[in-house]
This record gives sequence, structure tokens and C-alpha cells, in this order.
Amino acid sequence: MTDALYVGIDLGTTNSAAAVFDGDRVESVRNSQGTALTPSLVRVDGSGRVTIGHRARRFLALDPTSVRGEFKRLMGTREQLDFPAAGLHRRPEELAAELLRSLRHDIETQIGVAPRCAVISVPALFELPQVAATREAATLAGFEVVELIQEPVASALASGWRADDSSGHWMVYDLGGGTFDVSLLETQGGFLNVVAHGGDNFLGGRDLDWAIVDWVLARMEAEHGVTLSREEPGDAPAIRRLKSAVEDVKIELSAAADASLLLPGFLPSGHLELTVTRADLERLCAPLIDRTVEICQRLLAEHRLRPADIERLVLVGGPTAMPLLRERVAARLGVPLQRELDPMTAVAHGAALYAASAGLDARPRAANDARGPAAKLWLRHPAVSADLKPHVVGKVTGAAQQGKGVPETIRLRRKDGRWESAWTDLNHEAGFIIGVELEPRRPNVFEVLARDPDGAPVPVQPDQLTIVQGMSLSDPPLSRRIGVALASDKVQVYFDRGEPLPARRTFRHHTVETVAAGSDDCLLKIPIVQGEFERAHLCRLVGTLEIRGRELKGTVPAGAPVELTLELDRGGNLSARALLPDIDQVFEEIAHLLVPEASHASLTASFSATERRLQAMRTRAFRGRLGEVIEQLDALVDTYKAVERDIAAAAGGDADAGLKARRTLLELDAQLERLEGQVEWPELKEEARWKLAWSSHWLEKYGNDHENRLFEEAAAGADRAEREQDAVELERQISMAYDLGFNAFLRDPEAWPALFENAAAEADRAHDLPRAHALVDEGRAAVRAGDRRKLERVVRKLWTLLPAEARQRQRAFQSGLR
Amino acid sequence: MEPPHIARITQNPFHVLGLRPGCSRAELERAGQTLLDMLAVDMRDAREYMTPLGPRARTAELVRHAMAELREPTRRVVHELWASRDQAAAAPRQPRTSPLSDDDAERDGWHGGFRALGWRTP
Ligand SMILES: Nc1ncnc2c1ncn2[C@@H]1O[C@H](COP(=O)(O)OP(=O)(O)OP(=O)(O)O)[C@@H](O)[C@H]1O
Ligand SMILES: [Mg+2]
Repeated sequence: MTDALYVGIDLGTTNSAAAVFDGDRVESVRNSQGTALTPSLVRVDGSGRVTIGHRARRFLALDPTSVRGEFKRLMGTREQLDFPAAGLHRRPEELAAELLRSLRHDIETQIGVAPRCAVISVPALFELPQVAATREAATLAGFEVVELIQEPVASALASGWRADDSSGHWMVYDLGGGTFDVSLLETQGGFLNVVAHGGDNFLGGRDLDWAIVDWVLARMEAEHGVTLSREEPGDAPAIRRLKSAVEDVKIELSAAADASLLLPGFLPSGHLELTVTRADLERLCAPLIDRTVEICQRLLAEHRLRPADIERLVLVGGPTAMPLLRERVAARLGVPLQRELDPMTAVAHGAALYAASAGLDARPRAANDARGPAAKLWLRHPAVSADLKPHVVGKVTGAAQQGKGVPETIRLRRKDGRWESAWTDLNHEAGFIIGVELEPRRPNVFEVLARDPDGAPVPVQPDQLTIVQGMSLSDPPLSRRIGVALASDKVQVYFDRGEPLPARRTFRHHTVETVAAGSDDCLLKIPIVQGEFERAHLCRLVGTLEIRGRELKGTVPAGAPVELTLELDRGGNLSARALLPDIDQVFEEIAHLLVPEASHASLTASFSATERRLQAMRTRAFRGRLGEVIEQLDALVDTYKAVERDIAAAAGGDADAGLKARRTLLELDAQLERLEGQVEWPELKEEARWKLAWSSHWLEKYGNDHENRLFEEAAAGADRAEREQDAVELERQISMAYDLGFNAFLRDPEAWPALFENAAAEADRAHDLPRAHALVDEGRAAVRAGDRRKLERVVRKLWTLLPAEARQRQRAFQSGLR
Repeated sequence: MEPPHIARITQNPFHVLGLRPGCSRAELERAGQTLLDMLAVDMRDAREYMTPLGPRARTAELVRHAMAELREPTRRVVHELWASRDQAAAAPRQPRTSPLSDDDAERDGWHGGFRALGWRTP
């Protein structure tokens, strides 16, 4: 068998797990307690000693302030976690590192070596700063090489890597302690493709716990007249105790029909005792479960899929052990369940499988082999291959490349002796490509044989290689679009979701205003955003590249080119590089890469802004008698109230609630935006009709077959969007059609003169007036001379000088680019 | 940096991967994987590809991006349109010596890809 070992780790909010794959079987790693799950808890005692997992959990009740959990949710923020007894603060990534170190130790105990590399899973909807924090934690824990995989992708791999050739859509439903992920995947001839992710970063088992806690608190008040409040910092220890007891009850109810909640001395009058039945649980959990189902349905609808199109539904995560959840999800969604998978360890197993795909052998690098003078080979091949006939690529390295004792021809022989390649001569670069044949669904070991020009065997190093045949995922795909916010509040997309990592792209932008060299006040901001929205301000700001006047070698005028390159490595680490060709200077420093803070002040400010917006919308909707919009606005009130509660809880010390509030506010904004779209729908439709007619006119005149075909497609898409009342899609299709039409229009002899007149009329609003006026003069001369090419150049330059709307720019994180 | 309307031709995924527009998903994955491996061991033959506007440098990023583009059915259609349009220009090409034995190419029935890469096929 093969010697390589692959390690996967599921770093969970509540529980973590590790698994090892040896090319044939995946096995869970046991911790010192003998269990596969390690609670994601870290304890730091008064003397600064650290304990992890089950041992930390024991102190939850005795010494609660010394134990911290749920730090995964704070990854990538500036939040610090206190250990008052030790007088210490720790960043979330430091606590995650402690946990990873402990798991690494468990793995070492099981496989005999400390793993050098591993694959760690992260929620699909993690943003860049959270991803970066996870990598940092892994490095702190002593891993040299780490790759990240999205949790649902890992689950899908675990569920399907040995499935028979199947083609179709799968849905992975992962409800964890704190996050809900749902993913659509597509399998095709053994290739696993991520279609899309949905979910909610703030929905999980703990929300079920809170729903039960609130219910218990209400009963306590009604039956015993005792009031405890989640907003009151003084009540926090009691609430914590209650929540932990409630969680045990919830878990018990997965196996039993009823369970009792017993908290000795919890009430001033004595014990708190309460029986909870499955019916109670169902009533309390149903709304949350239904929310997850709605998210699934939305994801399906977005991809024009029906539940019947889903071939496999994979349920993962602790709460999916609840029978009532499984039944409700399957029934509401109308998709049968996949049963054979352990919902608690699937993610770790999938991560280990992926480590094999990525060729990340966990064992320490072998010391240079001392077995005599073997020729060194540089081999490349997929470690896991869906393809039954992949290629092995290789090259002989070293000085002497010809002659006696030097390989001239290579053969690969499968160890089972049932297949071998032809002898293949090395090419002029001493390289070769050999197609091999794999036995399905198992590790295939090949010997590498070599002969010199005299036909004598030559020892080579390495002398064997392994390819596992199974489902494969070639490159980790990006789960959220990344782009740059422009002053117009549009987003220049750099990487679309699904883009395989690593990736790098360059675009040319232009500055909006002059940045004077040496000035302290002048600043060119390049905001990098993540999210699917067309408008920048709705996306999440994940980093900013700032170029200050005082760093500049020369003044950069408005309209100057900026060549911006964004780069993402396999783990989703972002780097940016801006080249200003005019002054030949490069800037690379990203100002910050943090989940923005959710301070109380900023939360209340944006809360009241949203409130005002909501009011304004209501007034407009009433005036326009838009009953449907009013209804939808009313439906937002619950969300709105939840934000208010979360802001209050944040003030009471619950940092996570603050993050959740900010997230929900963003979502509210997006929904308001959509509703605004509805209010403006009649106008939008009118505009769409006009633009389609205009474009079709010019395409008829000047378009080629290909353009006309694309136009037909866009027009059909617009038609569909109009029927479905999908404003965003309509805008997208129309702008595609309009671009085609505009292109055709430019072929008309009168096009550029007309565009010139338009731009000239605006010239007085340009940033650089003298230059604009000079261009207008130049343009007039070109019109007189009939020099179209010159005129085109002038107009394009003029466009770069015209101002962007100030308001849009402010919303677009003050972007200095167009 | 090539302007977008040029890049649209020179970076067409079919050119980057050396595949013909009708190729199957499996061919796409195999071609991409093989090119990435060739680039990783620094094989000269992989470092350049042919476009209607002349040869261009092939990088691992371009290959990955091209693979992603072709995996997405709606985007693939657009690239197919463009690629078939310039195919007349792209077809005649000077074959290079083959690092792959003809026998292998024959067996895996993968002529199109290798021919497009400029390799000799039976
Ligand atoms: N048998 C069970 N029945 C019901 N709920 C359970 C059961 N076991 C665990 N849970 C709940 O599952 C949650 C933890 O789930 P899980 O371990 O999958 O989360 P996680 O992986 O740590 O979180 P995330 O994936 O969000 O990072 C907790 O809320 C816990 O109460
Ligand atoms: Mg999980």
C-alpha cells in the first residue's frame, strides 16, 4: 500500500474533529478521551495553564469565566477574549491555534508522526479576513503547509468519493453550532463542481438553544415571578448555566421523547425543574428549521432547479441528528435523505480526502534518500483522479542528461501487474508524458522503470507513485465574488465565485481626482469588496489599498491610469498591487483586512439610518398605493426588531450579537434595495423597452451574425426577467444588450461626432478644466477635419475627466477609481 | 497588458488549453491537469500556446481560469462562439516533436487536444 498519509481537520464552532486518509480508508482521530469529537473550548486557569476540549468543558459550570468557546465566530475581528483569572486576553485565532495544536497532538499519537501539513475546513461563506485568521491559527499551531476547504465541499467529498459514476445535482445541508451552510454541487463523470453556496453565518444549533432559553425564561417569569434578562450583564453567569443545561436537554431529545431540565438552586425559592417534550422542541425549533428550508429553496430557485432535480441530499452537523429536523427538512423540501454518513465527522473526513487531492502528504519530508546514485525524477500527476486515464508528467533533473547510466526511456508499471505503459523516450528536455490506466475507486501504485541508451536498467528516485481513483475536486473554488468598488458605486469584478484558486487578474482603472504629491490630505482609496451585489455599498469591504499624497513621486492627475492587480492564493489570501504607470510607482500595502468592527455607536447609527429609509419607503409605497410593497415592508419588521434586540445584547457584552446585527442590517439594506427596485419597476421596464429597441435598431444596421445571436439571447433573458419581475437580472441582461447595440452604433459614421457633442456639453464639470477645454478644441478640429480616429481618442479622454457622482462615491467606500 | 477586445481572442480558453470547441468535459479536465503538470516541471512545450494573433505565453493562472470558464456551461457557449469564429485562422499550425508516444495518443482517443497543442498525432 502507499505510505502517504493525509490529514483533515474540521475546526468547528462547537466541536472539532480530525481524520486521516491513507489512500484507501478514512479514519477519525481519537482524542485522549477516546472520542472523535473535541469540544471547541479553551480554558486558561489562574496560573495561565491551557486545557482544551472535554477537560475544559468540565470547568464550564465550576469556573465559567476561565473557559471560552465559539471563538470561531469572532475570527478575523479585532475582538479579544478575556481570561480574568489569569489576567490575559487572547485573540480568537490564538484560541483556535490552541485547539489545533491539541488536535495535532492527537493525530501524532494516532499515526506516530506530527503532521506537517493538513487541510482545515472553513464555512463556505467565510470572508477573506476570516479565512486569513484561520490560516494564521494553523501556522501558530505548528502546521507548515495548510490548505483550506469549504465545509460543504468536504461533506460532499466524504459522501460521494466512492459513489458509482453519477451525474446530477447534490445538496449539502450543514447546520452546525453557529452557522448554516447549504451548497449545490454538480457531479459529472466523477468531477465535483461547486455550483453555488447559500446560508446564514448566524444560524445554528445555538439559536435553537436560545429559543428554548427564551421559552424557559418566559415560563420562569410566569410561574415563579423570577426575571432574568439576556441584556443584563449581571445575569450572564446564570443565563450561561441555563443555556448549557438546555443544550443537554435538546440533545437528549434527539433520542428520547421527553427530557427534564433540572437546575438545583437556580431559583431563589430552590430548584428549577421542567419537563420538555419533543412537541415543545418542535414548536420552538420549527421557525428556525423553516428558515433553513427557505434558504435552500431560494438557492434552488436561483439556479432554476426543482427539488426533483436533486439526486442526493446530504445532512451534516449536530442538529441534523434531531429526527424532527430530518423529517421536517426532507418533507418541506421534498427531497429524500442520504443516510449513510455520520453527520458529525463527515467534514473532517472530506477534508482528509481533499488533502490527498491536493497532494498534501502529512508526513515529515523524507531525508535525502541514501540508496546510491539514482537518477532524480521530477514527477507530477494528480494525487486523486476522477479521470480513469490521467497523465503522468515527469522530467529527469540533474546535470548529465545523456549517456551511459542516464535514463533514456521510461516505463510505468502498475503494481498489480495488470497494466504497463510502452517504453517512452525522453524528449529533448529529458521530459515525458505518459497516460496511465487506473483501477476504479482505489489507490493505484505504479513503479517507475528507466533504461539507459544501452538498455541497461537505471535506478530512479522516486521509484513509485500513487494515484487514487475517485471523485476529485481540482482547485478550491472561491465562494464569493471579489472586486473593486468604483466611484460610481459599481463593482469591477476581479474574481467571480467559482473561480479556482490561486488566481490573479489585472485591470486598468483611472483616477477620479488629482492626487498631489507630498500632500497629507490627498488620498487615493482603492476599496476591495466581497459579495454578489451589483452595487458596491451593499458588498462587504474586506480591505483597502491606500495611496497617500506624501508617498507619491509625482502628482497623479485626474484620469491617470492605475493598473491594479489582485491575487488570491489557494487559501484565499488576498494581495493587491497598484501600478501608476505615469510616475512608474508601485503600491502593495493593504491597509486593513479585518471584519469591520461592530461598535455600539456605529451599529446604532446605521440602525437609525435603516429606520429612516424604511419610513421613507413606506411613505412612497403608500402614496403610490403599492399594496404588495407595503406588505413586504411589514414583513421586514420582525427582522428589524431582531436587530434591535441584538444591538441591545451587544451592549450587554455579547460581541457575536453585534456582528450578527451588522450582518442583518446589511441584509435589510439589500432587501430595501430590492423593494426600491419594485417601486421603480415601471420606470425600469420602460427604460428596458427603449434600450432594447434602440440596440436592435443599430444591430440590424451594423451587427454581425454573432452579435445578433448574443443579442437574441440577452433579449430572451430580459424577457424572462421581466416576466419574473427580477429587477437585478433585467438590468444585467439589458446592459448586455445595450453594450452590443452601443458597439454597433459606434460603427455609424455619425456616432463619434454625436458622442463628442454630448461630452463637450459636460466639459465644464470636469476636474481638470484646462485639459478638458483643450480636448474640446482638439475635438472640434477633428470634426472639421473629419478625422474619426482622432475624435474617438479625444472623446475617450474627455470621458475620464468627467466627474463621478459624489453621493455614489461616498457610498462606494470613497473609491478613487473609475 | 492586452486591451480587453484583444485579450478576448488571445485568452480564449480553447486556445489556452489547446482544445477544440466541441471537446468533452473529461478532455477539458485532462488537458488542463496535464498542462498544469507540464508547467510545474517547467516543460518548454507548455509555456507557449497558439492564437489567431500569434503565440502567447501560457501560465498556470491562465490555464486554471480557462478551465473554470469552460466548466461553466453558459460562459462556455460564448467562448465556443468566439473560438469557432477564429478557428479558420488558428487551424494550420507547425507541429512540434511529440513528447507523447503516438501509441498513447491513439489509445486514449484524445487527438484533438494534442493536435491543438502542436503535437504530432497519427
Ligand atoms: N444529538 C444531537 N441532537 C441535537 N443537537 C445536537 C446533537 N449533537 C450536537 N448537537 C448540537 O449541534 C451543535 C453543534 O453542531 P456541530 O458540532 O456540527 O457544529 P460545529 O461544526 O461546531 O459548528 P460550525 O459548523 O457552525 O462551525 C450544537 O448546537 C449542539 O447542541
Ligand atoms: Mg461544522
